[in-house]
Amino acid sequence: MKPTTRLKRPLVFVAAALLASGALAQEAASYKLTARDGVFEPATIEVPAGKRFRIEIVNQGKSAIEFESRDLKQEKVIPPGGKATVTINALKAGEYRFFDEFHEKTGQGKIVVK
Amino acid sequence: MGNALFIVWRESAEALLVVGILFAWLRKRPDAAVGMRYLWGGVAAGIGLAIALALVMLGIASTLSGNGLEWFQLAMTAVASGLIVQMVFWMRRHGRTFKRDLETDMARNAGAANWWGLLIVVALAVGRETAETVVFLYGLGADKGGITNLPIVLLLGLGAAFATFWVLQQGSRILSWHVFFRVSEVLLLLLAGALLVSAVEKLIALDVVPALVDPLWNTSALLDDSGRMGGLIASFTGYRARPALLPLLALALYWTLVWIFLRRSSGRHAPSTLVKSHGAHPVPRAGRN
Repeated sequence: MKPTTRLKRPLVFVAAALLASGALAQEAASYKLTARDGVFEPATIEVPAGKRFRIEIVNQGKSAIEFESRDLKQEKVIPPGGKATVTINALKAGEYRFFDEFHEKTGQGKIVVK
Repeated sequence: MGNALFIVWRESAEALLVVGILFAWLRKRPDAAVGMRYLWGGVAAGIGLAIALALVMLGIASTLSGNGLEWFQLAMTAVASGLIVQMVFWMRRHGRTFKRDLETDMARNAGAANWWGLLIVVALAVGRETAETVVFLYGLGADKGGITNLPIVLLLGLGAAFATFWVLQQGSRILSWHVFFRVSEVLLLLLAGALLVSAVEKLIALDVVPALVDPLWNTSALLDDSGRMGGLIASFTGYRARPALLPLLALALYWTLVWIFLRRSSGRHAPSTLVKSHGAHPVPRAGRN
């Protein structure tokens, strides 16, 4: 009897952890970001501190973009008409910049964490 | 137009650096013909890899689902970082032993063992960033106004690439071999460090490891890593204006280890200690390995 209970316990934990992570993934708020040939819309996204979130980037422009952020450790090339989702880990309050590496001059934006 | 050209050049700079240095170095080797075959094989494999990756990015071939592409890019970055370091030390061991290489078949075989490493380094250097250039150019081509620009950008971009390559080759002629080799080593080791930082950051982004403290400080007033110049410096040295603690620790550990191994390998006057040599040159012991 004992060996089975010993085996079961970690399994229960694993299952609980999986459920929890699944719930967390569902909870992650999602923000839409539209890129159009070097213009981000909106250019500023406000998110709450300490929570994972997702950014759904849609490239509605005619040229490819590279969503890049050294502050957020993200790098994503998106062709014209393409979409991509990036998941951002919980952040401390502050400002985190992102930019479009293919349109550096105009393609700037930031995430304000409050 | 100028912007497009700069992007094409920037995205191919890493590949040019790796291929250019290896090309200059291989030319001096007695077995250059063999090495060149692996070098150009690596370039061809890299272009194939770039096209495959670009197809995934374009969503045409989406065999990699979810985070698959991110994991694949992480693996490529980490492997490239490690192999570049290995390449530098391999070049160090063999750079000074050209004569001896000719004399002993043994050393030659040891050198040959790394040809595949060289091929993979080149393929990764070419493939990783070129994929992004392909998507960028696809965007230019897909845009109606861009179709006329595409051939011009392609031609000018290739021209800029060849000019960079040529400058590297001239550098190997004008500078003394010793100086050129030293500069190459530094550039390659900086690049490997930058790739390591990038790999650790990808691990943080994938939530595999914690950033520990993020950001640790902010030097964007001194040198911004998002601008053109700062961006180039960031991708070739691992510089970050707002670094997280973990990548910084990784970089510090990397440079400590590199420094220790560099000191060790330059302390040896007979590099044959690493290439098992039998015969005239006795292997110094003193328990160094």
